[in-house]
Amino acid sequence: MAVTHLDLAADKQAAPRVSRPDIALYFLWAMFWLLMLAVGVQDYVRNGGTRIWQPLLWEGTSLAVATFWLVLQRRIDRRYAVYLDRPLVWIGHHAKWAPLVVLSFVPAVYGIRHGVYALVGDTYRHESWSYVLLYESIKLLIFYGLWMGLIFGFDAFARTQDQRQRLLALQKSLAEAQLAHLKAQLRPHFFFNALNTISALMQVDVPRADRLLSRLADLLRATLQWGDKEITSLREEIRMLELYAQIMQERFADRVTLSWNVDDAALGGAIPALLLQPLLENAFKHGVERSRDTVRIEVEARRNGEQLHIAIRNTGAILGADRQEGVGLRNCRERLSVLYGDAAKLQLTPLGDTVEASVTLPWQEHRA
Amino acid sequence: MMRVLVADDEAPARGKLQRWLSEQADVEVVAESEDGLSAAEAIERLKPDVVFLDIQMPGLSGLEVAAQLEQETAPLIVFVTAFDEHAIKAFELNAIDYLLKPYDKDRLLKTLSRIRARPADGSARAAVATARAQTQSHDRLLVPVGETLQLIDSATVEWLEASDNYVQVHTTARSYLLRRTLHDLLEQLGDRQFARIHKSAAVNIAAVKAFTPLFKGDYEVQLRNGKVLRLSRRYKDQLFGRMGK
Repeated sequence: MAVTHLDLAADKQAAPRVSRPDIALYFLWAMFWLLMLAVGVQDYVRNGGTRIWQPLLWEGTSLAVATFWLVLQRRIDRRYAVYLDRPLVWIGHHAKWAPLVVLSFVPAVYGIRHGVYALVGDTYRHESWSYVLLYESIKLLIFYGLWMGLIFGFDAFARTQDQRQRLLALQKSLAEAQLAHLKAQLRPHFFFNALNTISALMQVDVPRADRLLSRLADLLRATLQWGDKEITSLREEIRMLELYAQIMQERFADRVTLSWNVDDAALGGAIPALLLQPLLENAFKHGVERSRDTVRIEVEARRNGEQLHIAIRNTGAILGADRQEGVGLRNCRERLSVLYGDAAKLQLTPLGDTVEASVTLPWQEHRA
Repeated sequence: MMRVLVADDEAPARGKLQRWLSEQADVEVVAESEDGLSAAEAIERLKPDVVFLDIQMPGLSGLEVAAQLEQETAPLIVFVTAFDEHAIKAFELNAIDYLLKPYDKDRLLKTLSRIRARPADGSARAAVATARAQTQSHDRLLVPVGETLQLIDSATVEWLEASDNYVQVHTTARSYLLRRTLHDLLEQLGDRQFARIHKSAAVNIAAVKAFTPLFKGDYEVQLRNGKVLRLSRRYKDQLFGRMGK
């Protein structure tokens, strides 16, 4: 399951050829060279120059050759992506190209300039070749270092974004898998047991059997309509709980009383679908199915400022040190931490002969 | 007369079985149990011929109850379950009766006539063996404490002492008298943790401190609690082989 999702994430990563950071990088590159051209022209004019094409040619040739190297760098960039977590290694891998870039730059740029001047029947005058080589190399190295730093920043940012996206996708798929698992867990045992109860009741108490049958149909319908909703409203969640509880109450009629204390203001809150189901199931399992006395189950929900607070309490079960956290509770905890991090919590507390499971979530209005 | 015990944690489910079984002239429902532990107690006390054992029960599941029974003397077991793919596959493999909830009267009658027609064919043994294979029955042992039964951790057992059809189970804290054969008990506990040292005794390998050779190839086994037992030649090789000696 997890492997499939990882593959999907990898596909998404490979899809766009020019990524968003690349566009930003080229834009920055264009701005930079516009500035260089403007400065070059201004400088030339202030010094009394009149042939504007000259500074344009000087800067333009530098621009052309430098752009050639930038495009080349963007092409092979992925090869060095793995080193982004170790900046020094990444810089090292790029620095080894610097001599080639510098040495190819001067002949290429000056070659083009000489060629163009010759074409217009002029001679390109400049300082001695050794001075040019030294001067251009120093300038170029500074330029090279500056842009490598920028490119590193862009690539590292893109990589971080990418990793974040993948992590989110992974967490989401994990949450979905858990939900599917939860639903699978809920159905068979519960439904077949309920059917058996109906089969038992219809021999002796037809109205009760009838009532149970329509509750079961309601729950089945609600489950089928559920689809793949990860988040639902508290209203929906409570409705599912009520249906479930009504059926359980029919099965263990003699041994349980239920009370609901749900604040209307809380009903519109967003909550992970079927989050509370295992908690109510536990209340039945550890309270009703274990104790011979009548058990009280209370469900309480209210909005507490920027928090949604839900508590499910049952009597009849003492929380012993030996009671381990079941699969249901662990699932709830994991889903909460995947979806909300540290902002949500689930607590199991003994209060005398009562056990309280309480959930606190950050308040979010549910939008259908 | 077929004496039947019904064990299910849900009243309507018990009622349904009770009603249909009571309609049968040759069937007597001797008791109903609401959970695994009281089912085990009722089996011990009432010795029914047949037990309808719901698998999903609080505390001790139906499979765990069956796993703790002595194979030779176990009643016929009909497992009842709403949904348990694992167990059902195992039942089918070993020709063990089971009822899938919800079942109708015809299906129950078929089960009853199969039980009536069946000679002592060892299906009770198969049910216990299958239940043991399906549960962690070597980790836990159901022992009598006064009138009731209690589960103990088999790691706390130091050694087992057989006399006739009883086994004295010696733990760190105390000892318990079980009406089972040593052979059956060892089969349940498995040979990973326990080893027979002579005809009427077995030790928890972890409780052994030292062996001292005696004459004729016998050994003296010293337990950590100071108890000294005898290891007979017959079981020596097997035990030493397992302990990597």
